Amino acid sequence: MRALWIFFVALLASLALGQGVPADWPDPFKLQFQRLQPAVMQPTRVQLSNGLTVLLIEDRSLPFVTGRVYLRAGAIYEPADKVGMSGIFASVMRTGGAGNRSADQIDETLETLAASVSVSTDNLFTSVAFNTLTENLDAVLEIWADVLIRPRFAQERLELEKGRALEAIRRRNDQPTQIAVREFVRRINEGHPAGNVSSAASIQSITQADLLAFHQRFFKPNVAVLAITGDFNTQEMVARLERVLGGWPRGEVTLPTFAPPSPKPGIYFVQKETNQSVIYMGNPTVTAYAPGYSELDLVSRVLGDGFNSRLFVEVRTKRGLAYATGGAQSQGFGWPGFFYGASISRVEKTAEVIELMLAQFRDLRERPVSQEELELFRNNILNAEVFRFTSRQAVAERIARTQMLGLPADYYEQYVRQIQAATPADLQRVMQQYVRPEQFVIVVVGDRRQFDKPLSSLGNVIEVPLE
Amino acid sequence: MRLKVLWLVLLLLLPGALAQQLREQIRKYTLDNGLRVLMVPDKTAPVIHFNLMFDVGGVDEAPGLGGIAHMVEHMAFKGTPSIGSLDWAREKAALEAIDKARADLDRALASRASQEEVQRLTAAFNQAREEAKKLALPNAIDQLFTNNGEQGLNASTGYDRTDYRVSLPSNRLELYLRVYADVMMNAVFRSFYEEADVVLEERRQRSENDPNGALSEVFLRTAFQVHPYGRPLIGSREEIQGYRVDKAMEFWKTHYHPNRAVLVMVGDVEPERDIQLVRRYMGVIPRGPARPSLNIPAEPPQTDERRVTLEYNAQPSLLIGFHKPTYPNREAYVMDMIDSILTEGRTSRLFRRLVIQEQAALNVSASSASPGFRYPNMFTISAQPRAPRTTADLERLIYEELERLKNEPVTPQELQKVRNQTRAAYLRVLQGGPGLAQTLAFYELFFGGYQRIFEEEAIYNAITAEEIQQAARKYFTPQNRTVATLVTRGGSR
Repeated sequence: MRALWIFFVALLASLALGQGVPADWPDPFKLQFQRLQPAVMQPTRVQLSNGLTVLLIEDRSLPFVTGRVYLRAGAIYEPADKVGMSGIFASVMRTGGAGNRSADQIDETLETLAASVSVSTDNLFTSVAFNTLTENLDAVLEIWADVLIRPRFAQERLELEKGRALEAIRRRNDQPTQIAVREFVRRINEGHPAGNVSSAASIQSITQADLLAFHQRFFKPNVAVLAITGDFNTQEMVARLERVLGGWPRGEVTLPTFAPPSPKPGIYFVQKETNQSVIYMGNPTVTAYAPGYSELDLVSRVLGDGFNSRLFVEVRTKRGLAYATGGAQSQGFGWPGFFYGASISRVEKTAEVIELMLAQFRDLRERPVSQEELELFRNNILNAEVFRFTSRQAVAERIARTQMLGLPADYYEQYVRQIQAATPADLQRVMQQYVRPEQFVIVVVGDRRQFDKPLSSLGNVIEVPLE
Repeated sequence: MRLKVLWLVLLLLLPGALAQQLREQIRKYTLDNGLRVLMVPDKTAPVIHFNLMFDVGGVDEAPGLGGIAHMVEHMAFKGTPSIGSLDWAREKAALEAIDKARADLDRALASRASQEEVQRLTAAFNQAREEAKKLALPNAIDQLFTNNGEQGLNASTGYDRTDYRVSLPSNRLELYLRVYADVMMNAVFRSFYEEADVVLEERRQRSENDPNGALSEVFLRTAFQVHPYGRPLIGSREEIQGYRVDKAMEFWKTHYHPNRAVLVMVGDVEPERDIQLVRRYMGVIPRGPARPSLNIPAEPPQTDERRVTLEYNAQPSLLIGFHKPTYPNREAYVMDMIDSILTEGRTSRLFRRLVIQEQAALNVSASSASPGFRYPNMFTISAQPRAPRTTADLERLIYEELERLKNEPVTPQELQKVRNQTRAAYLRVLQGGPGLAQTLAFYELFFGGYQRIFEEEAIYNAITAEEIQQAARKYFTPQNRTVATLVTRGGSR
C-alpha cells in the first residue's frame, strides 16, 4: 500500500514537472546531496633561526615554487602627512634595485627566467612574493631575499613612481565608480588612518629616507610569516631559506594603535556629469572576531550577495534599475568593518533607488528573514567550504594571515559553528544592534540636474567638491 | 652568460613532459547529438569547474539586432518551465499576454496613435508584466546553485563565442547537468523587458560612463567599417530598447545547440563513470542545424590612416590598431611574439621606453588579437600619457619603436626571453581550475580540437627574428593604422 502511494506521488510530481523534460528527470529543487568534507591541508610549520615562521606545503604536480612573506607594514602605518607612501614603497622596493643588483639587472634576470618577484600592499600588510620554475629556484630565491632584506630604493626609480602616482591622482576622477568607492571608504573610516586619501602634496613629500626608514622599522623576521608551496623537499627548502635569509636580523617592532572610525552621518554628494548615479551607503559595525560578526556576515548576504539577495532582486531583477547592485559586511581586522549596500543606477531614478535600498536595510531590522532565505545563504557558505582547499598556496597564505593577525587557529571553524547556529532572530538582533540607516554614510556620485528628487529631501546633504 | 644558456636549455626540456602528462589525462567524448565533452581529472579538492561554450557571439547578429547574443546570454539564466515557474500553465499564458500587449503597443507607436492610446497600451503592457511576475520564482537557477555552494557562477559573450561558467562541489554533477540540459531545451525568457533595462544599465556603466569603454567603441567603429567587429558587442541604446522576446528567442533557437557547444569539466571527475550521467541528461537534447552561413562581409584592406577623437570628461588616452590575420595563420603567432616583445614585463621595449626612460606614459599595453579571433582582427596598443606629455608624444615614441622592429632583427636573447615567458604563461594555465576549463573549450571550438594547445609551443619556438621583422614591416604601416584619441572635454590633447 505504502509503495503504491509513493508511486502515485512520484507520478504526480513527474506530471507536474513534465514540461519539456523526460518524465524520469528529478525535480532539481528536490535533489539531495551530502555536504562534502574538504580534505584539510595542514602546512608544516618551521621557525628559522632568526625567528621567521615558515609554513610549507609540498606539491610535486607541477615544476613551480611559490612563496609569499607577510609583514605588518600596511598603509595605516604610513606617516600621517605622507599618505600614499606604502604604495610607492611597495613599487620601489621591487623596482629600485636590491643588494648588489641594479634595478635593470633584477628585471632582466627575472624576465629571462620567466619568474616573478612582486611586492603588494594593503591597509595591514606588505607582502613580498616570488613564483618560479623549480629549475630556477636558487637564482630567484636570492633575488627575492635581496628585495625583501636589502632594497635600495634607487632615487630615480622613486621619482619615476612618484610621477606615476601623481598621474594616477590626476586620473582618479575619470570614473564615477572610482570616485564613489574612494569617498565612501574615506567617510566611513573618518578619524582612522584607513580613511586617509593621498594628495599631490603627500606624494611629493616622500623621500628615499622615508622608504628606508619604513623598511627599517617594520621588516623584521621575528614578526613575519612566510607561506611557501610547490615542488620542493621541505627539509631542503628550510636549509635553503636559512641560507638566503640568514643575514636578516631580528628586531623589535611596535605597532601604533588607533581610535576606531567615527564617521559623520549624512549624504555626501559629488556632482559629476553622467547618466548613472553611483550610490554607496552603510555604517561601521564590528571587527571580524567580535560577537555578532558571523551573523552580520550572513544577513549581509541576504541583503546583497548574488542573484537571490534582496538588493539584486528588488533593484535589478524586478525593476531593471541597475546592472551592478549588492552589499556585504566587510571584514574588519584591527578596527570595525562596515555593513553596506551599493548600486549603479540610472540617474533619473537616483532618489527612488536610495529609498528602495534604505527600505531593504530597514526591513531586515523590522522583520525576521524567512527560514528558507536563511538556509539558502547558510547552505552556500557551508557547501562552498570545499573551495577553501583548491589551491595549496591559498591555504598556506590564509593560515599565514591568520597568524599575523593574532587570530585563533580555529577562527574559521568558530565562524562556521556560528553560521550553523544562526537563527532568523539572531540576524534581526544584529541588524537592530549594529545597522542604523538613520546614521548611514551615504555617498552619491551623479548629475543633480537629472535627479528625480533633490537629495535634500532624503537627509542632510554635504557637497564634496572634486579636487 | 654560459649559466644563463644552461637554464634556458633546462627550461626547454621541462614542459614537454608536463604537457604530455596533461594530454594523457584529458578525455574527450562526442555525444550522438554532437555535444563534445572534455574531462580533466584533478583530485586536489572535491570540486568541478564547468565551462559550457557555444560558437555563437556578436558576429552572428543580424543588423539592427546588435547585442542580442549578449541579451540572450542574460536570458539563459532565467530558467525553464520546471525551474522558476510557480504554475507553468498560467505563467505561459501570462508571458503570451505580455508579448501581445507589447505588440499592440509597438503597433500603436508605429502608427503614431494618440498619446492617450499609447498611455493606455503602456499601462496594459506594464500590468501584463506584473501579472507574469507573480507566477515566477526569480533567479531560480542561481538559487539552486547557491544552495549547493556554487562559486563563480557567470557567463560572458564575445564576438565569436558565449560561455557559461560555474564551479560546484563534485557530487553536484547531476544538478548541473539537469539544469543546463533543461535550459538548452526549454529556456523561458521570463522578465525579458526588465532584463533589457538591466542591459541598458550595463551599457551605461561599461560603454558610456567608462572612458576606456567609450574610447574602445569609437575605435572599433572606425577600424571596422564593414565587418561586425566594428559594432558594439553590447548593442547600441536604440537596439537594446528595440529587443523583443520573439526575436531573441529566434536567435536562441537558431544557434544554441549541442552540436555547436563544448562542455569542459575540470576537477574531481571520473570520466568513464561521469560520462554516463552526462549522456543521460545532455544526450536528450536534440541536435540542431549547423552554423548557418551568414555571409559575414570581409573587412576590405585599409588604404589610408584613420583617425578619430572622442571628447570626454576624463584625462587623455590613446588607442592605436593595425589590421592583421588571425589564427591559424602563422603571422598571428608572430604578432603574439611581437606583443610580448613590446609590452610584456618591465624590460619590454615599449614599457621601458615610454614609462621608464622617457617618463611619458603612465602605462602602455598591447593586444595581439582584438576584438575577436575567428576573423582577421587587430593588433592594438593602448597608452595613457603622463602630463605634461601628450598623446601625440606617445604616438611618436610608439612609431619609433615599431620602426626599430622593422629595421633591426630582435636579438636572440630577447627572442628567447619571450619564448620563456610564453611557455611559463602556458604552464600556469595548465595548472587547472576555471582558466583551464575555458582554455580547453576555446581550443576545442575554434582551433580544430583541444590538442592544438599542445602544438603551439613548437610554433612559437620556431618563429625567427626575420619573421618578426617581416611581419612588422607588413602590418605596422600608416595606411593600415587606426588611431583613436580621448581628448579631455574643454582641455588639450
